[in-house]
Amino acid sequence: MMNHHTETKALSLRFSACLRLLLFLIRILWGGRLMSRPYTDHKFVPDATGFSTPGFSAFRINHMRLMLLLACLIVIPSLQAQTATDALNLDRIVRATVFIRQARSSNLTTACVGSGTIVRYDGLILTNAHHVVTSPDCPGDTIIIALSLEPGQPPVPRYRAEIVEVNEGLDLALLRITREFDGRLIDPAALPVLPFVDLADATDATLDETLTLVGYPAPSSQAASVITSSVKGFMDEPSRGTRAWLKIGTVSAAPGTMSGGGAYNRAGQMIGVATTAPTGRVGRTECQVLEDTNSDGFINNADACVPIGDFISVLRPVDFARPLIRSASLGLSVMPLTTPNTQPTSTGQPRFSRLFFAPTVVEGLPSTVIGAAPAGITSLYLFFDYENMTPNTVYEMRVTIDGVPQKDFDLPSVRWSGGERGLWYIGASGVSYSNGQYEFRLFINGVFAVSNTIAVGGPAQLLPSFSNLIFGVLDTAGNLQGNGYVLPVGPIATARFIFQNMPPNTPWTNIWYYAGQMVVRGDYVWSEGESGKYPTNLQPEGGLAPGPYRLDVYLNGQLSVTGDFVIAGADTGLAIPTAFDNLRFVRANTPEEIANSAPSKAYPDGAASLFLLFDWKRIAPGTPWTMRWRVDNDIFYELTLPWSAAESGVDYTTRLTAPNTLPDGTYKVELLINDIVLASANVSIGIGQMKIDQLAQPGGASLRGQIIDAETGLGIPGVTFVLINDQFSVSEFDWTQDKVYALAITDRNGRFEIDRPLEIAAPYSAIIAAQGYLPVSADGLEVKPEDSSPIEMLIPLIRD
Amino acid sequence: MRALFKRLNEASESPRQRWAHVITLTVGIIVFILGLNIRNRALTATSVYENLQAGIVAYYPYGWLLDTQGGEDYVFRVRDMTRPGFKTTIQISVQPVSSDTTSRSIADRLAFKRARTYTDYNVLTVATYPLATDPSAQSVAYSYSTRETSAFLEGVPDVVIGQDILTITRGQALIITFRAEASVYDSEYRRFRQFLRQLSF
Repeated sequence: MMNHHTETKALSLRFSACLRLLLFLIRILWGGRLMSRPYTDHKFVPDATGFSTPGFSAFRINHMRLMLLLACLIVIPSLQAQTATDALNLDRIVRATVFIRQARSSNLTTACVGSGTIVRYDGLILTNAHHVVTSPDCPGDTIIIALSLEPGQPPVPRYRAEIVEVNEGLDLALLRITREFDGRLIDPAALPVLPFVDLADATDATLDETLTLVGYPAPSSQAASVITSSVKGFMDEPSRGTRAWLKIGTVSAAPGTMSGGGAYNRAGQMIGVATTAPTGRVGRTECQVLEDTNSDGFINNADACVPIGDFISVLRPVDFARPLIRSASLGLSVMPLTTPNTQPTSTGQPRFSRLFFAPTVVEGLPSTVIGAAPAGITSLYLFFDYENMTPNTVYEMRVTIDGVPQKDFDLPSVRWSGGERGLWYIGASGVSYSNGQYEFRLFINGVFAVSNTIAVGGPAQLLPSFSNLIFGVLDTAGNLQGNGYVLPVGPIATARFIFQNMPPNTPWTNIWYYAGQMVVRGDYVWSEGESGKYPTNLQPEGGLAPGPYRLDVYLNGQLSVTGDFVIAGADTGLAIPTAFDNLRFVRANTPEEIANSAPSKAYPDGAASLFLLFDWKRIAPGTPWTMRWRVDNDIFYELTLPWSAAESGVDYTTRLTAPNTLPDGTYKVELLINDIVLASANVSIGIGQMKIDQLAQPGGASLRGQIIDAETGLGIPGVTFVLINDQFSVSEFDWTQDKVYALAITDRNGRFEIDRPLEIAAPYSAIIAAQGYLPVSADGLEVKPEDSSPIEMLIPLIRD
Repeated sequence: MRALFKRLNEASESPRQRWAHVITLTVGIIVFILGLNIRNRALTATSVYENLQAGIVAYYPYGWLLDTQGGEDYVFRVRDMTRPGFKTTIQISVQPVSSDTTSRSIADRLAFKRARTYTDYNVLTVATYPLATDPSAQSVAYSYSTRETSAFLEGVPDVVIGQDILTITRGQALIITFRAEASVYDSEYRRFRQFLRQLSF
């Protein structure tokens, strides 16, 4: 980059000489003082004195355009040739990468540090939650944002930010720049358009795909670091199913302060958020003492240490962040009114138990339970029960093969994204598992918790097995009906599993549990044949009560298949439960106005708030349920909580609000239990479609440069560079803001930056006007697809 | 000798030549006056802005950048983009009022709001500024510092002086604002005076 600037200066000197000659010629042609304004076809109106002012000569303007075009023709291609190296646009990515310092407001001492990335032009920053949310490990209450102003230089504090969206379990947070560094509020309209990055579709990531990791390697003392990496694997979790984590490998280690920074594919799109969650245990290497926090004049172990975290080895795919970004960019807020939407706090010690392995996952459940795996397997999952977990709990998995640590299979310290209790799994598919004795060790908050082993190797054996457990209600023809995992209240529930290679007289057992308590146990001898499907029923006296159920099926005393299901919804005689019913939308300003407002499925325009109401039947308190909101099919809100209202009721009320009015669009609500959508409803507002936000397009090229005095070669401060919308030429430009694509004002060195990326192949026009100088203008400024960003311009102005 | 040359010249200058001199001088004077006039018209040229919804008709300096997309901040804003440093600005905002709202209360509200967002915000004077339509209109002069360049560049703050004219008309408050860099405030103020003279609302 420095070489690049040197080349620019050399070009500027070349231009200076040329333009002195041009200056001489122009002064002869135009006789010295010429235009005071650069406009041509502005519509004049008589002023109060009845005069009207004629326009300026188009001839002169065209000459000036010619000059700028000449400059552009010479300078831009030269510079583009130097910068056109790759499509990654690292310059823009580094500029969009910020250093985050969570500080105590009392003395602005650092409590936590991390990296982040600007993902929208209006100052939305995507980062990890663990270093911005106030917690015992990160006790700060002020978030300071430092920008990388110069390539290769440490970041400089510029702004303060606030958390606008957070999911502590996923360890993702969205910050919005709201204040200047000195604490003054920023008028959102006055915030410049900041460089931001585009998000990739993380599901498109491929094994061994090259990634570029960008973040800050040390607490504010070093420049942004760019590390080449590659996708080494994918890890699955119930939080998303497949690809909950992207495993990466790096040539050089990426320190924990890069957590929250971005990883980019070759197209320059952000594919994941570098994530590692420090456990905050003082004494570990991942915690550093940086400042004199106790003001005793010394920086020593008596000062609070800043948790740094372990080296980065996984990414949280950006797809997890899309709902947060959507919600924050639209300012939408969902507030359940009937019950609080706060996560329950667990008082007990977090615990893992009942570890077992499965070769595959079916709808979140193990297909079957295995004690050993044949050679050549490509997928393996560790299942376990968990309880007393919170989003702040940090867990970790370490794997050894024959006692040798295997980093490729490890999951480093990350936040817990499940609920308080339930069944969890972690594993990977599409990976080659070599033969050996695998030990999977789980840690909670940095402390070893539990482990299990499995042997991989040997030929595949046709062992007796049960698999693919599914639940439902049998119809009169004996077919299993229902959605498989949520059943209505009724007299009987049926489970069906596949059996294979079963010899006769094999002892087997099924045990049914309700809310964690065993309710039925049956010990049998197998007599149903070698292979097929087998149904087994639960028919308690008094019928099935709503709540969580589990079935464990044992073969020869070993767990062979297990599954969870939920009973919810009134007994209607149908297999599909109607736990939620009568969903409707009402537009009202306050909850009190709901009763006087009629529900509707379409509203002609937005309102400050929209209410969702629904009735519910037979949902046991504590049952995990999910409310999901979409706008134009994009999720902007999703929260899973234990049901905390009564078992049945009407008019569960949720409020959707926006700062002004709800933006036009089609809004959809889905209500789920066990990841099964049980009810949904739509409402259309305005034209039923979101308006296109043109500023939200991150693609294109950055334009920056320097405006200099042609005689002295020095930069001219305070000059305005007006880039005109590609729909208009200079002659059509009448100095109205709606025809301006972007404005830039030069700094004390005459440098300027256009804060919106230029679209490829769009013919822009430009005007540069400064008192005391001849204005210049040009049409047809176009970025070609092969050009790369940033484009540098050197524009000399001639004194008038 | 000198008298001889004078006599020779007088003798050699025909009436036609004398008329030529007179006409030349006259044309020169006319061109000079015309030039001054053109210059004057160029300096005072205006463009018109009409907002029927807000009931505003304003004549603003020709060539200033017109922005009517200010949302709640302003309905009309023009800036002299050719000025180095802070761009001299005239803007009009409209705010709803209640029956108890006075120009002075609006001035106080503005001061509280700006003090939170403007660096070194300082109210200089608050005085009555009689308008033809509102003799009790208030004028608030203030200063602050601002920086308009990109956050990634070396921008140096400019000291700005501003003046708000606050009046209540037809159930809404009209805030007419003029801002200019402190060093040129006085010389630029004539544009604001002309703007006010021609403003109708």
